[in-house]
Amino acid sequence: MDKSLAALGEPIPNASARRSAAGWLSLLIRAGSLFAFASVMLYFAIAAPFFLTFSNIANVLEQSTILGVLSFGMTIVMIGGGSNVITGGIDLSLANNLGLCAAVYASVLRNGQPDTVALSLTLAVGLAVGSLNAVAVVGLGILPLIATLSVMNICAGFELVLTQNTVIPATSPLLSSLTDNGPLGISYLALVLLALAVILIVGVEFTPLGLRLYAVGAYREAARAAGLYVQSYIAASYLISGVCGAIGAVLSVSLLNGSSTGSGAMLLSVVLTALLGAIFSRRLVPTITGTLLSVLFIGFLINGFQLTNVSSYWVNGVEGVLILFVVAATSLVRRGES
Amino acid sequence: MHRIVKSFGGVRALGGADLNVQAGTIHGLVGQNGAGKSTLIKILAGIHQPDAGSIEIAGQRYNHLTPHRAEKLGLHFIHQDRLLVPTFTVGEALFLGSEPRVGPLPLLNRRRMKRQAAETIHNYFGVELPVGALIGELTPAQQQIVQITRALLRSPSVLVFDEPTAALVKPEADRLFESIQRLRVQGLTIVYISHYLNEIAMLCDRVTVLRNGVDVGTVNPREVPSATLVSMMVARDIDEMFPKRVATIGEPILTVKKLCRRRAFTDVSFTVRRGEIVGITGLVGSGVKELVRSLFGLIHVDSGKLAIGGRPIHLRSPSVAVGRRLALVPENRRKHGVALDLSVRENVTLASLQQYSRFGFLQLAREAQAVDELISRLSVRTPHRNTAVRHLSGGNQQKVALAKWLSRRSSLYILDEPTVGVDIGSKVEIYRLIGELAEQGAGILTLSADLLELLGICDRILVMYRGHIAREFSAAATNSDELLACATGADLTALPVNE
Repeated sequence: MDKSLAALGEPIPNASARRSAAGWLSLLIRAGSLFAFASVMLYFAIAAPFFLTFSNIANVLEQSTILGVLSFGMTIVMIGGGSNVITGGIDLSLANNLGLCAAVYASVLRNGQPDTVALSLTLAVGLAVGSLNAVAVVGLGILPLIATLSVMNICAGFELVLTQNTVIPATSPLLSSLTDNGPLGISYLALVLLALAVILIVGVEFTPLGLRLYAVGAYREAARAAGLYVQSYIAASYLISGVCGAIGAVLSVSLLNGSSTGSGAMLLSVVLTALLGAIFSRRLVPTITGTLLSVLFIGFLINGFQLTNVSSYWVNGVEGVLILFVVAATSLVRRGES
Repeated sequence: MHRIVKSFGGVRALGGADLNVQAGTIHGLVGQNGAGKSTLIKILAGIHQPDAGSIEIAGQRYNHLTPHRAEKLGLHFIHQDRLLVPTFTVGEALFLGSEPRVGPLPLLNRRRMKRQAAETIHNYFGVELPVGALIGELTPAQQQIVQITRALLRSPSVLVFDEPTAALVKPEADRLFESIQRLRVQGLTIVYISHYLNEIAMLCDRVTVLRNGVDVGTVNPREVPSATLVSMMVARDIDEMFPKRVATIGEPILTVKKLCRRRAFTDVSFTVRRGEIVGITGLVGSGVKELVRSLFGLIHVDSGKLAIGGRPIHLRSPSVAVGRRLALVPENRRKHGVALDLSVRENVTLASLQQYSRFGFLQLAREAQAVDELISRLSVRTPHRNTAVRHLSGGNQQKVALAKWLSRRSSLYILDEPTVGVDIGSKVEIYRLIGELAEQGAGILTLSADLLELLGICDRILVMYRGHIAREFSAAATNSDELLACATGADLTALPVNE
């Protein structure tokens, strides 16, 4: 009995051949994307000697902060809702949430309130937007794509009411110290990005809560069968995303010395960055680490284009190609698995 | 479980069924499709609430259960579809919900998870699984092992298997049986639901047969021959549903030679001739679904030859099939058969718009006339030809799906469960229609799980078992007992050797 049972460990030859084909493909995609990342870096390093200097890297980090923080929020929503772009988790309100929060922060400061009041109000607004999404998606059961699209409009409306479509200038001790250089000559903005990344990586990749969030997104029935209250995980993902919007807003006000109009234009970059991050993971699922890498990839790409005097408008095209590549590659792997 | 009654929207699924399982035994549960097996089990799992009856577990009586209470009582279920996250490692899937942590910290202890996964699986099954691999990379049998281990980790007292071998090939299934027997030795009570009577005979101490929502008997399968079980399972109400017809059988219209698809079917060969109705049937996992889907061009085959009207054809997609005047009526009519939001008229002429067009424009009057003709010929009950198909009953939707192909006069019809979810009246009309098509010289291949239906309308019946055509019957010279025995593997003499 034991003897024949032991054979169970060996996969059936045919099946393993196909499965490992999918495995190889996913390995190839990961290796390919890392190789692309490295070769782009190498090319710029040769073409523009300034590229690999410490101050330039610090600069890229700083420039990537806001995209990064928002993409983290998006990634968490995608993890909890599943990464199907149409029916899965997505938070389209994220960029406009940032715009609204930035307007709130700037107006509260303009009314003579201190940073603490402005900060807590901004976080409250971010959380409120997150809860609105959570109620719409979890409570009312609306498709996230539609629910967050509506909330996006609500945010955009409130922002216009608050700012009358103008830039509200803002300065405060907190804002100016964020743009200061901290240890190692890296600005605090960039340090906030890195700190948030570390917190989220630990929270999502190394805790039972994170694992369960993945289960909820990847196979809701299985998560339910494991006794998880799936609704609360999904709701929490939108709340975290709302907080990311608020944090991004404070950083944005600091970087731009005030609220700014047109934050909604960032939305597609955020969605694409979070999707792009999936190619850096073995399972081809969104991860915080993957998102951080893709944020940096795009940051370095823009920076490299600027240094080599290529129009930075090319970045849009390159991003588009990358996304097509990612979506094609992941669907290819999925087809191999099914 | 005592005198369980359950109805769904007027249809009685269970009419007072009893199930008594003794602790420490393997108890089989068998019955035809629709006999009420899964309803009974879902009531035990707390997924459905019974209308009447009671459940007694270890001396304690309950009027109904909830999923939560069922779990607390130590009832665990291995469902047919595996509830495991495909992108998780074996360890993650095993411990999801009760993950090992690093001391008191809220951090995952991945190393311990991996080690414990390997240890637990080895302890229960004596096998090594690649615990670092993703669930999606494992074979179905290995996934099944993970699923069972997951249930065992919660120290169950009763384990319920629902068709555990449906997705497994023979050697995988054999290993599973050994594992199940080992679990009984360890003192577990096991309820085993299966279509395969030879599995029941091999594993179970007792078996309960369900028919039409009631238990018709509980016997020891080692003492009672399979043939007796089969006759207990089959309902014997012959009715006058099937119209008589005169068959004039002509030359072959569909020839299938040595068709293979890995993990689904192997070496399938048969022909369908003009004027002939050929039925095909088999249990879940016999490969019959996949075979018909591949004839539709919906899934690909690995090898083999197909010819239609003597000319070879390579079915890359349904459109190739349609181009060769094949008519396909899929089972899931809501998904593939009809467009619910389009009108009856649009649905009927969708596949044959060219017939009603001139210079790229539809000739609406001609189209309307043809549609009205078909509506009355099929007695489709619809207020108007422009009514959306959504508002029609299931039977009438199915008639529209058939009418779609009638309007193009196909020479070969492939029907997948043409009467599932259809009321009796519409069934009779569909049977009459199929008979008419054959009389007009079309060849018809119909897949159905309803054996009486096949016996009533077909000339020949093919029965598939574990990926092969086990046997071919002449409908006039067989009965449902014989067909069921063949489909369940009870008549092992007639079977080819399993892979």
